[in-house]
Amino acid sequence: MAKARKVPAIIDNPMSFCPGCGHGIVIRLIAECLEELEQDQNLIFALGVGCSSLLGGGLVTDRLHCPHGRASAVATGMKRVQPENTIVAYQGDGDAYSIGIAETINAAYRNENFTMVAINNTNYGMTGGQMSWTTMPGQVTTTSPLGRDCEITGNPLKFPELVASQFDVAFAARGAVTSPKNINKLKKYIKNGLEAQINGEGYSVIEVLSPCPTNWKLSPLNSMKRIEEELIPYYPLGVFKERKEN
Amino acid sequence: MGDMIKGNIAIAEAAVRAGIKLYAGYPITPSTEIMEYLSKRLPEVGASFVQAESELAGINMVMGAAACGVRALTASSGPGISLKQEGISCISDEELACVVINVVRYGNGLGTLYSAQCDYHRETRGGGNGDYRCIVLCPGSIQEAVDLMATAYELAEKYRIVTVMMTEGALGQMMEPCELPDFIEPKKHPWGFDGKYTYKKIGIFDRNSMDEAVELNKKHEAIKAEEQRWEEEGLEDADYVFVAFGLPGRSVQGAVKELRAEGHKVGFIRPITTWPFPEKAFENVNKDVKGLISVEANATGQLIDDVALTIKKVIKDRNVPTFCLPCVYGIPSMKFTKEGLHKIISGEIKEAY
Amino acid sequence: MREIVYAGFGGQGVLTSGLVMSQVAIFKGQNATWIPSYGSAMRGGTANCTVKYGKDTIYNPAQEDPDLLLAMNGPSFEMFYPMVKSGGIILVNSDMVDCDVNVRDDVKVYKLACSTLAQEIKQPRGANIIAAAAIIKLAGDFSMEDGIQGMNDMFRKKGKEKFEAANMKAFECGFNAV
Ligand SMILES: Cc1ncc(C[n+]2csc(CCOP(=O)(O)OP(=O)(O)O)c2C)c(N)n1
Ligand code: SF4
Ligand SMILES: [Mg+2]
Repeated sequence: MAKARKVPAIIDNPMSFCPGCGHGIVIRLIAECLEELEQDQNLIFALGVGCSSLLGGGLVTDRLHCPHGRASAVATGMKRVQPENTIVAYQGDGDAYSIGIAETINAAYRNENFTMVAINNTNYGMTGGQMSWTTMPGQVTTTSPLGRDCEITGNPLKFPELVASQFDVAFAARGAVTSPKNINKLKKYIKNGLEAQINGEGYSVIEVLSPCPTNWKLSPLNSMKRIEEELIPYYPLGVFKERKEN
Repeated sequence: MGDMIKGNIAIAEAAVRAGIKLYAGYPITPSTEIMEYLSKRLPEVGASFVQAESELAGINMVMGAAACGVRALTASSGPGISLKQEGISCISDEELACVVINVVRYGNGLGTLYSAQCDYHRETRGGGNGDYRCIVLCPGSIQEAVDLMATAYELAEKYRIVTVMMTEGALGQMMEPCELPDFIEPKKHPWGFDGKYTYKKIGIFDRNSMDEAVELNKKHEAIKAEEQRWEEEGLEDADYVFVAFGLPGRSVQGAVKELRAEGHKVGFIRPITTWPFPEKAFENVNKDVKGLISVEANATGQLIDDVALTIKKVIKDRNVPTFCLPCVYGIPSMKFTKEGLHKIISGEIKEAY
Repeated sequence: MREIVYAGFGGQGVLTSGLVMSQVAIFKGQNATWIPSYGSAMRGGTANCTVKYGKDTIYNPAQEDPDLLLAMNGPSFEMFYPMVKSGGIILVNSDMVDCDVNVRDDVKVYKLACSTLAQEIKQPRGANIIAAAAIIKLAGDFSMEDGIQGMNDMFRKKGKEKFEAANMKAFECGFNAV
């Protein structure tokens, strides 16, 4: 379809992500899916705090900046009073899995009928690259200067696997933005998540392994290589909870 | 006359009749009956009830609903209201409208279960980070609380501000007769999200804090000019004027009546809004008044600060002494207030300002 | 204005005894307030409430100068008897209060074996209604008919009319026992 080639209508202003950042690709995919599912005029975003909030400046759609970590609770309130709208919580790994782990996990626990897209770039991007709960063992960040010591900081968290194995959610998957093939798969996951919501199947989560060249101190190309070689072996791509009718 | 009804239940039913579409909250004594009642009642009227995982999540759910332009409610007490401050600050920043009920209990930190007014400063000064205020309503009876419930939403929506209904543990737990209001079906606000980006001003993305400050001050001035509420008596010839709100305010009214009958020239101001503080009431105070006395259910005296600041604005040619009678927790007995006056007159209790 | 304290241990139904009084006052067009001890004060097994009623506005709903005290058990008697107004009345449930109750000569103490009476009229759960009725009689503000009508009105509104006959029997028993 030619439609997907042009910039989706809800992306209006340029967003100020760093060169080679993964956020922009994911937003583009979400917007395309929404347009293809005819949900782009029927849509509210709950935005996390982090580089994800840069999204706020670029979209022309109903969207709210939520307090750091609380987007899944805000999305719950939105969906409960406006079930006819499609609600997307867009959050970073620090936002969703560290400060907001309670709100995030409880939304999944209740099987709340909205879609969360979590951008896992293995650090707190916006504040300059501190350790997050998805930082890899040994990874150097500004708060793990000698490399992450999992003995005292815990092991990297795998959220889609966690909710898929423990809770009755509708859809859980992990994608990456490293290659056209992976991007196409990711788009399918996002679409599935949104469709699950539209059909009232319940909670859907799509985590995305996404590069943060600025804080990783790698070139955009080497950042993609890092995801392929280092992250994917630990954070496998794929669907962890299939939709019931699929 | 209505039947005996428990404060928390009456307030919850009044919220249903004011047309709330969502309640989200977490249990804590002495507020819990509000959510217990609504867990049954809201589904009956086609509205949502969410038992949130925390007060933090509860207020954020309220924010989501408020962003969609519908009436949403949360209630809590003590440490639960502390957790809500993050959300209240954000709701204020986005200029959304909602109501938060604080059924105040005594103490710092985890606190106690005693009825009190110890959150006065926090509630009347905004409470979270930043530079904002909430409208604060302080009912003195169950009937007044019920009557103020729809008002709380009207004010919140008129000014796009958070309204705090500040009750007390005792008001939530006691019973007295009360007439419940009629049902209203509030209109969805044009500024609420509809999924179509019809209204473009929610979500502050390009900030101009200088311009926003001008607007914020204009809003606060309008609220101060229009929305002061209070009850007063005997101010014109009073030697001493008591100031107290909520249940202590009501007890003080009784004490003033008895003191008058005993020949003392005393009056009272019972603020119903503590923000905006009823400054206009102070204009009616006898210019030769000997002192103002706050009676409050906390340890250190909080309301006294507003009393002292306000009388300074009204009587400029001299320093009118202000005294504080803090009863720590509970409802001060009328005896407590009357003895307090005698101690003030005899010089045993010194002025605070 | 009349002020009455109802005290006992949790499960004796003293909160309901007080509620009956307040509802009777409302039924007769008066003002009333009912305020319980709650929370931590309730744990540890004691419960109490203060009822005020009268034709005028009730300013302070909390305990101030009780005219009457219902003490359904020993600890409640010990706790509250010093607070009763001079010239006031104390009703003790003699089934549960076995300490010396002649501790003040400025108040009148009545003893009523509420639980025994409840057994006798075959309403084992009616001791609190018996006590409530006795208090209404001692307060002297309402007739037995007013009391019964007010009480029935209250239970009907709570959807508990099936206990009406039993409650009336207990009420009459208590009212006539003092
Ligand atoms: C309560 C609170 N604490 C801290 C911050 C500062 N802060 C802003 S963004 C951020 C980290 C965001 O990291 P992540 O969610 O991973 O998003 P990213 O920028 O990596 O996309 C932090 C700590 C804040 N805004 N609020
Ligand atoms: S800091 Fe990282 S996550 Fe943020 S915009 Fe730059 S590259 Fe993207
Ligand atoms: Mg991150």
